Amino acid sequence: MADAASTPPCVEVVDLHKRFGPLEVLRGVSTRVDRGSVVSIIGASGSGKSTLLRCINYLELPTSGEVRIDGEAVGFERRPDGQVRKRSAREIARFRQDLGMVFQQFNLWPHLTVLGNVVEAPLRVRGMPKREAMELGRACLARVQLSEKADEYPARLSGGQQQRVAIARALAMQPKVMLFDEATSALDPELTGEVLEVMRGLAADGTTMIVVTHEMAFAREVSDRAIYLHNGLIEEEGPPAQVFGDPKSDRCRQFLAKLLH
Amino acid sequence: MGNWERLVWNQRDVLLQGLLVTIEICAIAFAVAIVMGLGLALIRLYVRPLRWIAGFWIEYCRATPIFVQLMWVNYVWPELIGWPTSFYTAGWVALALQSSGYLAETFRAGIENIGRGQREAAAAVGMSPILAFRRIVLPQVLVMIAPTIVTQFTVIVKSSTLVSVITVQDLMFQSQRLVNVWYEPIEILTATAALYILFIFAVSALGKALADRLRLRYGLGT
Ligand SMILES: Nc1ncnc2c1ncn2[C@@H]1O[C@H](COP(=O)(O)OP(=O)(O)OP(=O)(O)O)[C@@H](O)[C@H]1O
Ligand SMILES: [Mg+2]
Repeated sequence: MADAASTPPCVEVVDLHKRFGPLEVLRGVSTRVDRGSVVSIIGASGSGKSTLLRCINYLELPTSGEVRIDGEAVGFERRPDGQVRKRSAREIARFRQDLGMVFQQFNLWPHLTVLGNVVEAPLRVRGMPKREAMELGRACLARVQLSEKADEYPARLSGGQQQRVAIARALAMQPKVMLFDEATSALDPELTGEVLEVMRGLAADGTTMIVVTHEMAFAREVSDRAIYLHNGLIEEEGPPAQVFGDPKSDRCRQFLAKLLH
Repeated sequence: MGNWERLVWNQRDVLLQGLLVTIEICAIAFAVAIVMGLGLALIRLYVRPLRWIAGFWIEYCRATPIFVQLMWVNYVWPELIGWPTSFYTAGWVALALQSSGYLAETFRAGIENIGRGQREAAAAVGMSPILAFRRIVLPQVLVMIAPTIVTQFTVIVKSSTLVSVITVQDLMFQSQRLVNVWYEPIEILTATAALYILFIFAVSALGKALADRLRLRYGLGT
């Protein structure tokens, strides 16, 4: 008990709400992700998976609720005197350095080489010396099996290769957690394998990961815990064997059944 | 041939001095127009409370004939704000204003062309919006709009002939002065036209070379 209190989870989401005008997309989501664990998030289109991920790194501002990284709230600071202060954009940017994000559409920067994409943030955001950044960048490219493409420009790579560069770019910031938003959904089916392979490797290395995906077999295989999101609420949560194999919720069961047909 | 020697070659110092003034005033106007254009575009895109002012300003700059603008800056501004105090300054200010309106719209279109995803990726690795703009957006925008920027410089060069009207001693001014002395316009005006053509040609060639280098540097070469 004392242990649980002294080591806060890597990511903790507390009663998160997000509203776009009249549309309430997240309606009170709470969960926690322990260091070194992999959590997958599944759910129908529009259920709020992307929004949840984007609220975790504050690309979307939560309407209410909290996101904590290693026990520290991203959005505001609790002063010792009990006062609560909203954090500035700069402070939030500081938190984002520790949250690697991989987007469905890769979002590489086309005017920089592959290595340039990877070392940009270590150089300009972390202020790392150039030599060190280059070394780190090459190591990250090696992890995604793209060492030989370091000097290419993104436009000359396949989709699968581009997504792996995006993963290397996120890894280069040595984040505490990696967030994947349907990393393979924009890829041709024959290219998803290489990206999933890289993600599998990261999971095996003990990387903390939150993975939004439609690849159910993959989610079941790599995750320590699965979350089924429905209409902005966690409808089912548990070990993958339970969520995928024997869900308690009928909606989750139907969702999975639909995918099989 | 004697005429050419007497009217043009022997006056080459005067004409070249005029050309120098033209180059100078165009260069200043161009530099100011780029900075202003970028500033106006950024305000219009990102500074909500000032957006309408920037929009109005851009429209004003684009919709006013350059001659009217020149007169306005030269005669009205000093009354209103006590500046500019010299014809020379009024000259480049008017030229810069005119081009800044066009460049602002060019910059805006270029910036809007860079997908939101690229900026989000920058934010996601912890870049500030300013850093993301400088490192991610601006280089791509510059490559994209380089041809338009070069064209805008040639527009400034052509419009700059009007500053002779407010007695700025540019190439056109010197040329007209020589014509008025000898009443023999053919050689002098032909030489003047040739100098303008050469200047614009040189600028275009230089601009194209720079644009190509930029594209190459950012791997966007053809
Ligand atoms: N910026 C926004 N403005 C308004 N509505 C939005 C915005 N972003 C998302 N939404 C809406 O929020 C809802 C949830 O979107 P979200 O992208 O989180 O779903 P998702 O679960 O990721 O779906 P998908 O599987 O299609 O990616 C959708 O109805 C979407 O239209
Ligand atoms: Mg989504």
